[in-house]
Amino acid sequence: MSNVREQSHPSNGDLTSPAEGDLKPYVVFTQLNRGDPHMYAGCVDAADEQMALQFAREHYGQDQKCVNIWVVPKEAVTATNYDTDLIWRHTDQTYRLARGYSKPVKDKWRKLRRAEDLKEYEKDDLKETF
Amino acid sequence: MSGSANVGVHVDHARDEDPAKLAEFEARITAGELLEPDDWMPQAYRQGMLKMAEHHANSEIIGALPEGEWITRAPSLRRKLALTAKVQDEVGHGQMLYRVSQDLGKSRDQMLRDLITGKTKYHNVFNYPAPTWGDIAMIQWLIDGAAILNQKTLADGAYGPYVRTMKRINMEEAFHFKSGEDMVLTLMSGTKTQRQMGQEAFDRWWYPALMFFGPPDKPHAEQLPPMRWRMKTVTNDDLRRRFINRFAPAAIDLGLKIHVVKKDDNGMVIEKKPDENLRLDETTGNWSFTQPDWDEFYRVIRGNGPCNAKRLALRRFSYEQGRWVRHAILRGNAGLPPAA
Repeated sequence: MSNVREQSHPSNGDLTSPAEGDLKPYVVFTQLNRGDPHMYAGCVDAADEQMALQFAREHYGQDQKCVNIWVVPKEAVTATNYDTDLIWRHTDQTYRLARGYSKPVKDKWRKLRRAEDLKEYEKDDLKETF
Repeated sequence: MSGSANVGVHVDHARDEDPAKLAEFEARITAGELLEPDDWMPQAYRQGMLKMAEHHANSEIIGALPEGEWITRAPSLRRKLALTAKVQDEVGHGQMLYRVSQDLGKSRDQMLRDLITGKTKYHNVFNYPAPTWGDIAMIQWLIDGAAILNQKTLADGAYGPYVRTMKRINMEEAFHFKSGEDMVLTLMSGTKTQRQMGQEAFDRWWYPALMFFGPPDKPHAEQLPPMRWRMKTVTNDDLRRRFINRFAPAAIDLGLKIHVVKKDDNGMVIEKKPDENLRLDETTGNWSFTQPDWDEFYRVIRGNGPCNAKRLALRRFSYEQGRWVRHAILRGNAGLPPAA
């Protein structure tokens, strides 16, 4: 540091600049390809939406291909509580999921149908399921 | 289930649009890009997508009605849980699709009101009765099966919010279809009475399932707006062919007979004979079949089906009864307890 800078301010004691407070936190969601869902990327602190967008572009838009960004004031996010809010129930829920039926259904079809016919039929099954 | 949203929805050609913008829009569609609500699009496209998504949303919530009637009469606790979950899913699909429609410019309340007063339509298939548990099994196998075939192709469309919603809906539909298969397989490997119940329900639902994909296509369907703009990606007749190729041989192996039927005004079968046109063409791999009665289709779509009045009356009752709930919620007086 130059002498001028060192000597222009006292090096100890209370700061002369008053505390200004923090910027507001914004939650950032980025979209990696057009048509994809926006995904949570992180947070930035900014004075307003436009600044938040600008910071989000720098922080989260440069590491990977990113085509769109959303910023949301963190205070606008309402969340559940890990300890008191049960979301996914821990009792057996397979009655409401495809995987609760896949095996018994396959076994029942096998008794009735030739393997190649069943294979053809199953081609139209949805691949992505719960 | 539900949504052959390509049925009963008319889409206009683009008129009075800036040719340069229209060309750019069509180029994006040809390139396989997804469109978002704020993007430029021809007025006819926005209106057409709104009609399609709204029709689909209406179908989801009306489609829950015939199945909902059977929750209290399900034959076992597991079936009751599954049917409750399915009906919940369908109403949830309605919520998602009304959201998509709202972003295209129409208020949800207006959509619910237009449905009840008959200004807008829902899928024709829900105007048929479900008099036995066998019908619930056949609906979940044949009609959900038809809906999945259709919705898989709608998920290849061009309108981003609708495409994403289709993908999510299909994830849940897989459960409906699997549990439908389980019900049909159980019924058809049961007692003589159960198998007969299955056959009679099949006779009621086979033709509504074939009609599900809509009437035969107009000539050059690929060049008309719905397909040119990838609002739908496969023709009605092609979807119907895929459906029959999958379900006819499966039905036969289940021990079901495929009949051409005549129904009374209540949708109950009064005459039936085996479909003599039903056979596999070994060279093409396609099944031939007797076409549905398209006069019946148009009669039902115009409001004269077995259950049109009943379905809308229940929806109207529910809307009128729910007035105090909407009233309280909109004014922040719902008095909900804090989340658990």
